[in-house]
Amino acid sequence: MRSILHRLVARPAGFIPLFWLAIVGFCALLPALVMTHDPNAADFGAILEGPSGEHWFGTDDFGRDTFSRVVDAARPAAMAGLQAVSISLVLGLPIGLFVGYAGGWWDRIVMRIVDAIFSLPGLILAFAIVAILGPGLTNAMYSVGFLFALRIIRLVRGMVLSVREEPFIEAARLSGAPTATVLSRYLLPNMMGPLIVQVTISFAAVLLIEAALSFLGLGVQQPDATWGSMLREARSLQRDNPWIAWPPGLAITFTVLAFNTLGDAYRDVLTEGPGGRAKAAKRGASLGLAQGTTAVSDADPADPNALLSVRNLTVTVPTSAGPAPAVRQLSFDMRPAEVVGLVGESGSGKTVSALAVAGLLPRGVTIDPSSQIHFDGEQLVGKTEADMSNVRGTGIGMIFQDPTASLNPALTVGYQLAEPLRIHHGLSKKDAIDRAVELLDRVGVNNPRQRLKDFPHQFSGGMAQRVMIAMALASEPSLIIADEPTTALDVTTQRQVLELLVELCEDLGMAMLFITHDLGVVAEVCDRAVVMYAGQAVETGDVYDLFAAPDHPYSRALLASVPLLDGDEERLVTIPGRVPGPGEQIAGCRFGARCELVHEACTTTLVELITLPRDGRSSRCLLAGASTESNP
Amino acid sequence: MSGTVLRVGHLVVEFSGGGAFSLNREIVRAVRDVSFHIGQGEAYGLVGESGSGKTTSGRCVLGLQKPTSGSITLGADDVGELARHDPQALHQRIQAVFQNPISSLNPAMTVDRILAEPLRRLAGVKDSAAARTRSAELLDAVRLPSDVLDRRPTELSGGMAQRVSIARALASSPTLIMLDEAVSALDVATQAQVINLLADLRDETGVSYLFIAHDLAVVRHLCDRIGVMSQGELVEEGNSADICHRPTHEYTQRLLAAVPVPDPNVKRVRQDLRTR
Repeated sequence: MRSILHRLVARPAGFIPLFWLAIVGFCALLPALVMTHDPNAADFGAILEGPSGEHWFGTDDFGRDTFSRVVDAARPAAMAGLQAVSISLVLGLPIGLFVGYAGGWWDRIVMRIVDAIFSLPGLILAFAIVAILGPGLTNAMYSVGFLFALRIIRLVRGMVLSVREEPFIEAARLSGAPTATVLSRYLLPNMMGPLIVQVTISFAAVLLIEAALSFLGLGVQQPDATWGSMLREARSLQRDNPWIAWPPGLAITFTVLAFNTLGDAYRDVLTEGPGGRAKAAKRGASLGLAQGTTAVSDADPADPNALLSVRNLTVTVPTSAGPAPAVRQLSFDMRPAEVVGLVGESGSGKTVSALAVAGLLPRGVTIDPSSQIHFDGEQLVGKTEADMSNVRGTGIGMIFQDPTASLNPALTVGYQLAEPLRIHHGLSKKDAIDRAVELLDRVGVNNPRQRLKDFPHQFSGGMAQRVMIAMALASEPSLIIADEPTTALDVTTQRQVLELLVELCEDLGMAMLFITHDLGVVAEVCDRAVVMYAGQAVETGDVYDLFAAPDHPYSRALLASVPLLDGDEERLVTIPGRVPGPGEQIAGCRFGARCELVHEACTTTLVELITLPRDGRSSRCLLAGASTESNP
Repeated sequence: MSGTVLRVGHLVVEFSGGGAFSLNREIVRAVRDVSFHIGQGEAYGLVGESGSGKTTSGRCVLGLQKPTSGSITLGADDVGELARHDPQALHQRIQAVFQNPISSLNPAMTVDRILAEPLRRLAGVKDSAAARTRSAELLDAVRLPSDVLDRRPTELSGGMAQRVSIARALASSPTLIMLDEAVSALDVATQAQVINLLADLRDETGVSYLFIAHDLAVVRHLCDRIGVMSQGELVEEGNSADICHRPTHEYTQRLLAAVPVPDPNVKRVRQDLRTR
């Protein structure tokens, strides 16, 4: 929470609104310290004056000091906000929690009532409540608070529904926690973010409604000032003194704007994670830099036959200790129609590398400008977002781990398949649908024309992945990047999807960059593999060679830790320790601390990829070549 | 292996499909007449693809899902009865570890508090200093340093988070732990560590496991006996070696054939396609 506040203050969109709201809050608490005159004291000697040294914002038709009245009106504004928002929370929070958690009939009945009330225009409903309770700010705010409670109910119920099925809630019940504890200690704290955003936005809306009600004479009664009532008075004096509407008008505008901007900034801070703003700034800088760079590195020249040639790819990610390289000087080539596996544990940098090639790095993750990614002879590093989108639309297809998360749940599969065909390939609506049918048929979805009308949730995991593959094929790519495409599937479905992918690559002459942590899958589908560890390639080679005689101690250890169906040993081989983080500076070999063959030189020498005599093999080990002979 | 810890007899679970207002409610039979038992200190594997009914069976064992018919007895007690009348006593004896390591832990709590919850409510450790000492012991049991106590789930790696989940399950000294795809979200190296840890913990504490997974290679390493489920039915059951080397049911054979083998010379999707 503390660090969130720090990050909020660190950005202008957080600091400026907070500063303004602090001023408004101060005026509301201690108006006497700010006001220059009594806000309700009439001075008929000085009516409708313009701004002057005596009256900073001028005076109204009673000669009252506008500045002091604007300051004085901060209190009813703050009171209105606090009353309405606290009423909405007191009502909305428990009801939302309860109906979301209890579900069933309670949920149906309460939500239908909420829907019914929601269908009435809010301000009209507020008028009706005011008409019953009588005018006055507090009554008005009861009605507004009631209306906002409905929003809170909806929001909280929605969040409860999404969190309720999380395993940690199940685990809490298994730990013996009673329902009240589950609600208050497990559900509520995990909903604070969106709730705070909703509260700030509610404050803004309440201020506007309060102003509107006062403007119509239903809020605070004369002679007390509110920004809304001051506007009302200003309206009739418009002709005599056009200036008089400005101070209360700007006070409303700035305060509402401050709440809304603060809500947005808070949401950004929550979604971006640590170092958000630094990342964004950094990204802009690197994009600008990258465009001018043409430097060629000293590493091996790019393979002229390669479809994809990656040289010295370095990708920096933000960490709590500042930017750090998650991928270090990665180089590899892919020929047309070749299937290359990028293998490693989590934290090895394999996914970041793949996203870098596809130009899909998240905000704040940057490619070092000296990196080179040549696809079809074209340098991709430094391309604009629009150009990369074009490359993806025509040359590179992408498949992700979780197919259902990658599809839009609100749109039919047909729409999601056909739309890009219309945009990128200029097909007519009918042609696009025909092509979509063809694609679904190609990836083995039965009854494709019918299934185009289905929504993503109507597909099983395996079928949804087929749809993703169809989408990737739509652009007739020469390279498919598949990031753990079968990790979320069970073995039998995995097998089917792997068969499909390999078959498609062979039939269509596509190359595939296959990212996985599963060595079994690599052995099944890949021609070559690049083993990654802590951001570096540690071994590359043809799969037959690599699996028969892994050279790098890490590759050997990784292979030994795979559970086998026919192994007889009871215990699995494990690698002690853990993968070092991107920011960790390690002298010598990055695997050294976990290696069973580590010796003096490993901890002091910078280890390069060493090309082995067998073809296409290389290993980042001082014992490269030697170790395989001693450990066949 | 002295005595039976869990006995599941003729378990049937049916779900009614369609919404509350729909007229034609379809009945989905998720589990059809499943029977198995788990001995003390035994690890029993339940394998099958998604939708085979293995997770639903596991939820019944935990008392989280009410069976349509059939019996589940834990020692001498009926699980359904316990779940209704004394859920705390049930959950002291049966615990669970789920698939997703990070989302199994409350992101708003530190590890210290996550472990204190079952200690306080199920194991009767009321004193907070005693709970902290016991939490540190539990972390030690799952080979984690005690400084993990003050961290939050988001600051843990997948493997570490899964160890914390295992420590939480151990807190009440249960007789049975259900592991629902507990290692499938971990990568190979971490998976191997967790499988070995589970084997060691079983040897140290004598706890039994109901290990639910889809990957037979993983199950074989931990389990003594395996039951294979398909479309709600238990189609084959036997000791691990038999199931993996001499499968009799056609579905088991298919499941075995689908397991990727990390040796391109043995089996390859590519060659299979060509020889077809």
